[in-house]
Amino acid sequence: MDFPTNYTNVDQAADDLRRRSLAHMAAPLERMIYLGSTRDYNTGLYYHDGLSSRFSEMVACQALANCHREAYQQVLQSSIEDLVQQLDSYIQSTNSAPLDFIAAWKNLQPYRVAVPAETDPLAAEFLCSNVKIALSIWESHQGGRSRQPLNASLPQ
Amino acid sequence: MIQLAFSLVVGFALLIILYFFARGGKVSAEGSAQQLREARQTLDSLQFGLLPDDLVHRIFATDDLQYVRRAAPPQVQSLFLSERKDISLAWVRRIRGAIVDLMRFHRGHARLYAQLSLLMELLLALNFARLLMVCRFLEIALYLRGPYAAPGMVRTVAAAAGRVCTISEKSLVFLKTSQIDRLKNDPSHHGASV
Repeated sequence: MDFPTNYTNVDQAADDLRRRSLAHMAAPLERMIYLGSTRDYNTGLYYHDGLSSRFSEMVACQALANCHREAYQQVLQSSIEDLVQQLDSYIQSTNSAPLDFIAAWKNLQPYRVAVPAETDPLAAEFLCSNVKIALSIWESHQGGRSRQPLNASLPQ
Repeated sequence: MIQLAFSLVVGFALLIILYFFARGGKVSAEGSAQQLREARQTLDSLQFGLLPDDLVHRIFATDDLQYVRRAAPPQVQSLFLSERKDISLAWVRRIRGAIVDLMRFHRGHARLYAQLSLLMELLLALNFARLLMVCRFLEIALYLRGPYAAPGMVRTVAAAAGRVCTISEKSLVFLKTSQIDRLKNDPSHHGASV
């Protein structure tokens, strides 16, 4: 995916993306899932109508790819404790029923396809392993509570 | 008669040896470019994929272990230790594999292209041997005692692998993508002339 794009434009588009669409997503995990979903799995190219209309399709694609890699790196650097918090924040933002969410994530493992292309396989596997553990910890904290803030249930 | 037969056998054996030397000495430009590219990829994979401090620190971070022990039930703790063990073993095996690939490349091809000094080659050989040995010990330690068994050895492997990469990179400065591409595209460039 090497486009002869103007770097300044790509940076501007990425900033625009961070200020608008990504501004509402506090957790890097949420941003990574969202940005992964803007990618066409058949072509590997990213699409974003709003960004394309302000810039161009190619610039938007490159900006989305850059932001995706950035979010992925942030998730990769997150501790398990931080990931559990991010997961909780993400689940609350989706308004899904916790049990349904856990079942879906355990079966489908959507975080596996949310990893950017050309990442090191070991790093990607490490990220997936951490999300899997965070999911199990989050699930174990759900016993007996429905939608309380996670901090309230964590052992200090 | 016996002397004649003996001479013929020796002559035939020499011919076979010459044949194998001649066959092994042919290095096609495309084959060389491919090997150079693979060596560059191995170096990149080590430097940017496996050895970044952040990644190594996170894989072996004890704060994760402490958090999981504090906040997770026993079955999740077991899952965590098992997952980390798999990842840490995969990490050390990948490092070892990359080092073996680099060593094979150096042994087989680097001397044809690069002007390696004897000291540099000896230093590389020493680092390769030491690193492979420590990798094997670390692998055994991680396998037997889990991912947090040998933090000192992890640091040693990461540092030694970093040193091998640096020396390797210095000695193979010609491994620049532009040069590799030029070599691959220009059939008049034989590998040995790089």
